[in-house]
Amino acid sequence: MTFIKSFTPENLFSSLSNKDDFLLLDVRNRNDFSRFQIEGPFEVDILNIPYFDFLEKEDKYLSKVSRQKPVKIVCAKEGSAKYVAELLTGDGFDDVSILKGGINTWGNMLVPTRINKKSDKYELYQFIRPGKASCSYAIIYSGEIVLIDPSRNIHFYKEFAEEQNGKISRVFETHLQADYISGSRLIAREVGAEIFVHPNDFKNAVFSFKKMEDGHRIRIGKDGPEIRAIHTPGHTLGSVSYIVDNSYLISGDTVFINSVGRPDLGGKVSEWSEILYNTLTQKIQYLDENMFLLPGHFTNWTEANKNLQFSEKLGNVKKNNPNIFAIESSELFSQFIEDNMRKQPEIYEKIRKINTGLIDVMEEEADQIDLGKNECAACT
Amino acid sequence: MNKIDVNKELDCTGLNCPLPVLKTKKILDNMVSGEILKMVSTDPGSKNDVTAWISRTKNEIFSIEDFSNKLIFFIRKA
Repeated sequence: MTFIKSFTPENLFSSLSNKDDFLLLDVRNRNDFSRFQIEGPFEVDILNIPYFDFLEKEDKYLSKVSRQKPVKIVCAKEGSAKYVAELLTGDGFDDVSILKGGINTWGNMLVPTRINKKSDKYELYQFIRPGKASCSYAIIYSGEIVLIDPSRNIHFYKEFAEEQNGKISRVFETHLQADYISGSRLIAREVGAEIFVHPNDFKNAVFSFKKMEDGHRIRIGKDGPEIRAIHTPGHTLGSVSYIVDNSYLISGDTVFINSVGRPDLGGKVSEWSEILYNTLTQKIQYLDENMFLLPGHFTNWTEANKNLQFSEKLGNVKKNNPNIFAIESSELFSQFIEDNMRKQPEIYEKIRKINTGLIDVMEEEADQIDLGKNECAACT
Repeated sequence: MNKIDVNKELDCTGLNCPLPVLKTKKILDNMVSGEILKMVSTDPGSKNDVTAWISRTKNEIFSIEDFSNKLIFFIRKA
């Protein structure tokens, strides 16, 4: 048996961020590949050849793989990548490695990045999930950690808390997520944290939570940063944005760096479009333009800044999205939303039920449901 | 469904990819044209993989029975 090198999703992300020169060979079937593929901050040299194609015409497909650079192979789990890696190695390729654990490990991976100044007395982290194109957050002060919109990768958050010598005490949701399985309930159960949400989205929830409604304020510790809730309905009726230390707007799926969160997921597009329009023109419009927007999602890595973080001054966000922020009436806004509307993935209904606790799924099914990029933006 | 006359059976229960495809290929290669192979797999990923792979050969899947915990493929050798 040949020894095959492997790499973790974190290794892969740093190679992608460093613009290392390599070929990413995805050996899953074409359907799975077209549904979801690995994306990074920069262009990826990626090639899809299903592992079973090598079975039929080994030489033809081997000749398609570059011998000029290292080949990193990914598949659904790990077995097929290993199979193809052995073929390549046997054919004289000298730098071949495989993704440990398969594509789901990439889908669940989180990249932590410090957002606020080192001189601040608290720490604000963004956790980028490249596989979902989503972001969760942590605010840390004096050993206490508040999480916002955590994903299912609770192992990561627990390790992060340990490294920080902190305790996760509270978990906030910006809204009832439809595009990924929330980790809030799992974390709350494991570390004894309290969950804070807006009741509009969680009326049917079968777990206990504290209400976070418009104007509610929570301070971390006695003299730590304040988190203030503003009710920003539209994407959902219970969407809340959190302002941290009067400086950062953690907006969930209300405002993105490009675009806003689609208001059609609830099935009442014209009604919710009007609600979103009012949120944008009556609430977001009046916030300090120097505040940094920290979104729940991105559509493309071009939205990241030079430090590869998703953070942009609110004034710039408004300026860069005239198709949204310069629309003059709620009717025109609804029209814009409807013109850009697309079908929502069927699985979203099930994810909502999981996130309210109405159904539970096994780990393997959760992995499968949770894999794939979000479709939450009103326009792309 | 009418009873299908099966010439060979392959049990891939408990195996993950690529093994269901590799074992199926090995058996099909030794079968005679027109014969039918029944293959059982518990790997959910094999549904798309086996279907996509067979469609690239001259062989034919003429039935898949999809149960909650297993898949049964009936494949006709070309």
